[in-house]
Amino acid sequence: MTPYLIEITRIKDICYANKGQINTVIGTRHYIDNHFDKDLSLDFLSNVRFTSKFHLLRLFKKYYGQTLRQYLIDKRIEQSKILLVRGTSVTDTCFEIGFESPSSFSTLFKSRVGLTPTEFQKKSNFHKA
Amino acid sequence: MKIRVISIPVQDQEKALQFYTEKLDFVKKVDVPLSESNRWLIVVSREEQEGVEILLEPAPNHFEPAKIYRKALFDAGIPWTQFHTDNVQLEYERLINLGVEFSVKPTEMGTVKIAVFDDTCGNNIQIVEML
Repeated sequence: MTPYLIEITRIKDICYANKGQINTVIGTRHYIDNHFDKDLSLDFLSNVRFTSKFHLLRLFKKYYGQTLRQYLIDKRIEQSKILLVRGTSVTDTCFEIGFESPSSFSTLFKSRVGLTPTEFQKKSNFHKA
Repeated sequence: MKIRVISIPVQDQEKALQFYTEKLDFVKKVDVPLSESNRWLIVVSREEQEGVEILLEPAPNHFEPAKIYRKALFDAGIPWTQFHTDNVQLEYERLINLGVEFSVKPTEMGTVKIAVFDDTCGNNIQIVEML
């Protein structure tokens, strides 16, 4: 057994012994992955997993290292890039990934990607051509 | 500042190119001859060719401390680089069939599943799937 294998076994025993908690956060992540285009509130997500919302917030951050909101935004931005590359309009993309306003979507997209959705789409079209 | 390229030191660039393209199915993106037998050799993931680039860099084999450091990491089974995959088990089976050797078989670690293989160029590489 290598020192690395010994170390990951040790970490697993210390950090990942609570299978119930792990199943809760994995289930929540999968739910977000499959429903990120819907209006996902913390109340709703905690009801789905039969847990309190503050407990779910703490667990998600503990095991995934980011908040539920951060994860949901990352997922939506990732999906929006796919739609924009396919040629979907910025407005349609905004609504398809669960945002309510094209301007707030564009602002968030620019802060995460460094380009506006329109600039990103033009750039990807240029690369395709 | 952007993260565009990460380096993986390899003992033999040609052998590394074969491994990373033929076994891992990465794509050669840039190949510039430099001094003597060295090259500026870049590979990228086939699935994400505009993503982060990997520079298969000649390991500083002539520099004894670096050589000792790399060998110690390798012998301890420690991976310094990791790649993401959607399914560790499938990737493990695909690579095993291609003769790749694993020091860590697919293992769940809380919210991720990992496995570690030998890139045959002096490095342990970890593949990770988010569960």
